[in-house]
Amino acid sequence: MSTKKTLQNINEIKLTRRQLMSGSGALGGLLLTGCDTQFYKPPVIREGFMGVADVMTMASQRMLLSNQQLVQEHDASEITKNFPVWNQSNPDDEEYQRLRAGNYADWRLPITGLVNNPVSLSLEDLKRMPRRTQTTMHICEQGWSAIAQWTGAPLMSVLEAAGGITTEAKYIMIDAYGGWYEGYDMFDAVHPQTILAYGMNGKDVPLGNGAPVRLRVERHCGYKQLKFIKSIQVVSSVEGFGRGTGGLNSDFGFHWYAGA
Amino acid sequence: MPSTARNWIFRHTINARICHWIMVVSFFYLLYSGIMIFLHFPELYWGKVGFQGYPAIFRLEDWGISWERAEELGDRRWGRSYHYLFAWVFVINGMIYLIWNGWQKKFYQKMLPTREQLSIRNLKSEFARHIKLKAAKGESAASYNILQKISYLFVLFALFPFMIISGFAQMPAFTAISPDLIDLFGGRQTARTLHVICSLLLVVFVFVHLVEMIIAGAVNQLRSMLIGKYEIHSENAEESL
Repeated sequence: MSTKKTLQNINEIKLTRRQLMSGSGALGGLLLTGCDTQFYKPPVIREGFMGVADVMTMASQRMLLSNQQLVQEHDASEITKNFPVWNQSNPDDEEYQRLRAGNYADWRLPITGLVNNPVSLSLEDLKRMPRRTQTTMHICEQGWSAIAQWTGAPLMSVLEAAGGITTEAKYIMIDAYGGWYEGYDMFDAVHPQTILAYGMNGKDVPLGNGAPVRLRVERHCGYKQLKFIKSIQVVSSVEGFGRGTGGLNSDFGFHWYAGA
Repeated sequence: MPSTARNWIFRHTINARICHWIMVVSFFYLLYSGIMIFLHFPELYWGKVGFQGYPAIFRLEDWGISWERAEELGDRRWGRSYHYLFAWVFVINGMIYLIWNGWQKKFYQKMLPTREQLSIRNLKSEFARHIKLKAAKGESAASYNILQKISYLFVLFALFPFMIISGFAQMPAFTAISPDLIDLFGGRQTARTLHVICSLLLVVFVFVHLVEMIIAGAVNQLRSMLIGKYEIHSENAEESL
């Protein structure tokens, strides 16, 4: 019923507040709890002036992004040849190597936690979902940038497939092969350009760029674009993951919010 | 000695002094943290994209510091965090300075060039005086000279805003907030390169500013920026010594 309708509309959803309120399914929980200012701060605020500046940066950008505008999409002719491979390029992980040897046929993506109907999706399941293709700029916090075309299933569709989130859901924690993990709030989860990408430049995502599935969470630096995705967990608190800051990068000392 | 009485004027208002020193601290940290960030990616490109291996317009490697060595020198986690912290300090301090002073007629009298100052004759003589590294004496030392005014206005209303806007154009969130801003620069990498070039212009300004301060009398200048009082030396001070 309504879930199906939302699935059909996922690509053209322009998430204004009004539409969010009238929606159902995956977003139901979010709306009931939702005062927008919850998206103005990271799950854990750093100490001292640094934390104050972090919140000011995040709040000011989130205010400017409150219409959930799409990021600029580039022409296919602008796609970068030799898109850089940065960070881990081939997870040193037995299970991953086994899946890779089988061309990811046995790869499964469990979606668990605060969802109504936990599921485990195969690559084929993802490919059968509504798809979105976007040619966007990848901006690394180090300073480099490159353009690639990504094809994947919107994270929203994936959450819908798990029956939608419950009212306590606040963060999406994603684990990757090789020990990386990262957390995202619902503001990013509902953005139409937040996709689980299985295609890059018209082909499968290459090994170095995060095969078989990586996250594209546009509006953030490269370090939030998690590669080699292993599992998704919807939670109400980031406690218990790593050092408890809400992501491996923020465990390392980077700001959790990477829009600046 | 013709006179033991010192000739004092009140040069800098309390807001100008407070904002000046907050700006000095935040500029220092912005520069330092900016260098830390840059060292982690010591190349500059032109256009939308750029990465290691892509044709660069500047590579630190060509200047004898290898990529690996530069990366070791820089600390970008520290750098990024401090860059944004002090960017906020800098911007808020700048807004306080402008709003606080914008109400006061004195500010415009102090900062804007007079018609007399803009005359060719005055411009020529000021250029000549600056090239000879001579300090202004007497009444003319009481107010900013024309080159000083032009450089302050240029820094305040051209270079500072440019640094802020070219900083925005590098932020991933601005690919959604205002892609036009990034296009205006001709791409993200161009914005980054111009951000670095503009910061070098600011470093040149600070250097000249310090040299001029020493020429004009470091103690007197520093004192005026700390407590406001500034001593005017008479026109014939040299003869009377």
